Amino acid sequence: MAISALHRIPGGFSRETWSFDARWREYGREVHRGFVLRRDPDASLLVTDRDVEFRVMDAVAVHGVPVPKMYWLENDGSALDRPFFVMERIDGCETHPSKVLMDPRFFSARDRLAQEFVDILVRIHAFDWRAGGLASLGVPASEAGCAIGEIQKWEAVVDRDSLEPQPVLRAAFRWLRRNLPPPAQRIVLVHADYRTGNFLCNSEGEIKGVLDWEMTHLGDPMEDIAWSCMRPWRWLGDEKIGGLMERADFFRSYQQAGGFAIAADAVRFWEVLGNVKFAAILLTGARSFCDGRTRNPLMALVGRNVARLELEIMDLMGV
Amino acid sequence: MRPTGLESIRAIQAALADIIVPELTSAFAQDAAGAVQMLLESLAGDWDTAAEDLRRDNEALSVLLASSRDALDRALPGNKSLASTVTDIENRLREIQDDSLTLSSLASRNHALGALLERILVAFDDLTGQSGYEKVDGLRRDIYVHLRQVATRGWSFWDVSSFRERMIAVRSAAAEDDARGAVR
Repeated sequence: MAISALHRIPGGFSRETWSFDARWREYGREVHRGFVLRRDPDASLLVTDRDVEFRVMDAVAVHGVPVPKMYWLENDGSALDRPFFVMERIDGCETHPSKVLMDPRFFSARDRLAQEFVDILVRIHAFDWRAGGLASLGVPASEAGCAIGEIQKWEAVVDRDSLEPQPVLRAAFRWLRRNLPPPAQRIVLVHADYRTGNFLCNSEGEIKGVLDWEMTHLGDPMEDIAWSCMRPWRWLGDEKIGGLMERADFFRSYQQAGGFAIAADAVRFWEVLGNVKFAAILLTGARSFCDGRTRNPLMALVGRNVARLELEIMDLMGV
Repeated sequence: MRPTGLESIRAIQAALADIIVPELTSAFAQDAAGAVQMLLESLAGDWDTAAEDLRRDNEALSVLLASSRDALDRALPGNKSLASTVTDIENRLREIQDDSLTLSSLASRNHALGALLERILVAFDDLTGQSGYEKVDGLRRDIYVHLRQVATRGWSFWDVSSFRERMIAVRSAAAEDDARGAVR
C-alpha cells in the first residue's frame, strides 16, 4: 500500500485530523482512495472517548444519517504514538462557516441547506439506539434525569479546569438547578455538537457528512435544538440560527419533519447549559495551555473568550 | 519607550500578515497563524487598559463586597452560615490590601475578590424567597451590572462574527449612558 499527500487538516480540536491518499491493489486492480485519520491529541478542548465516536458514526450511517464511512479503530497507541481511527474522506465539500455561509457559491443553496440541517437532526433523534447497540453509551436513569446528569458532568469540568473564580458560571449552575426543564419526551441519541461548522456540504446545499461526534450521548433531544441555536454558532452576527434560518422557522420545520414538540422554556434551559458547557470546554483548553500540555495558540486564545459566553448566559438567565 | 507595547504587537501582526503567512503552504499552518493573529488582537485589545481595568474592577468589587457584608449582616442576624461569610469578607478585604500596580498583583487581588464574589452570589441565591431577601436584592442586581461590564470588555474573535450585532448594541448602549452622564 502506498500512502501519499499526508497533511494535517485545520480544526477538529478534540483530535488531530490528518488527510491522506492511499493506493493499493485489490483483486488485480489498482484502488485509490482518500482517507481521514483522527488521532488522539497531546492536549485538547475535550476529553472524549474515540471508541464512542467511532461506534456511533458507524451505527447511525445505516439509519440514513450522512457520516463518513468508518474503517479502522486502533486503540493501541504503539503504531502512531497515540490511538487513532481512520474514516472515509468526503471530497468536494466545505465545512467552515466562512465558506458555507459567506461564499457566494453557497448563497442560493441556503434554503436547502437549512432544510437538510433540520431533517438530519430529526433522523438522529429518531435513531433506535437500543437496536443500534448504543445503550452502552450510558442510559440516563430516567427522562427527568437527563438535565441533571448534564449539569453534573459540566460542573465537574468547571471544578477541574477553572484557573480563576467563575462567579457567572457558578451562578448559572445554580440557576440551572432551579429551572430544570420538563423530563425529556424520550431519551434519544444526542449529537451534542450539532451546528453550522460541523457538517460537510456541497454548493447545492446537500449535507454529505455530519462530523464531530465526540460529545455524543443519550439524552434529551432539546439539548441539540438549543445547542444549534446558540449565539456562538450564529456566524453572521444576526439572530439567524446557525446563520441559516429564523428561530421560529427552525422550530416549526423540526416539528413538521417529525421531530419532538419544542417548548421555549426547555430550550432556554438547554441554551443556558449549552453556553455553560461551551465555556467549560474553553476553560479546558486554557488549562491545557497554562499547564504546558500544549503550545497550540488556539488553546491560549479560547480562554480569553469566555467573557462573551458569560454575557450570553446572563442575558439568557435574565439577570 | 517607543515603539510601545501596542505598537510592537501591531508590528508582529503586520509581519505575520505580510511576510510570514504568504509563505505558508499548509492550510494547517495558515490556520495556526490565524489563531496567533487573533491572540495578538486580543492582547492588543486590552494592552493599554489592562492595569486600569483591573484596578477599577478591584475597586468596584471591594465596594460591592463591603456593601454585601453590611447587607448580609442586616438581612438575617443570627444566621450562622451568613455570619461566617460576613466574617470571611471582613478578613479577606483587610488581607488583600495591596497598592502594587503590576498586572500580576492586580490580577491576584482580582482573583481573591472574585472568589469572595462567588460566595456572595451563592449566599444571595440561598436567601431567595426568605424574609430579608429584599435587603440584598438591589446589591445582587448591582453585582450583575458589574459582571456584565466586565464581560463586554476587550476583544473577542466572536466580535467580528457571531456576537457582532450583540456587541454593537452593548457598546452603543454604553456610549448613550456615557453621553447622558456627560450631560448631567
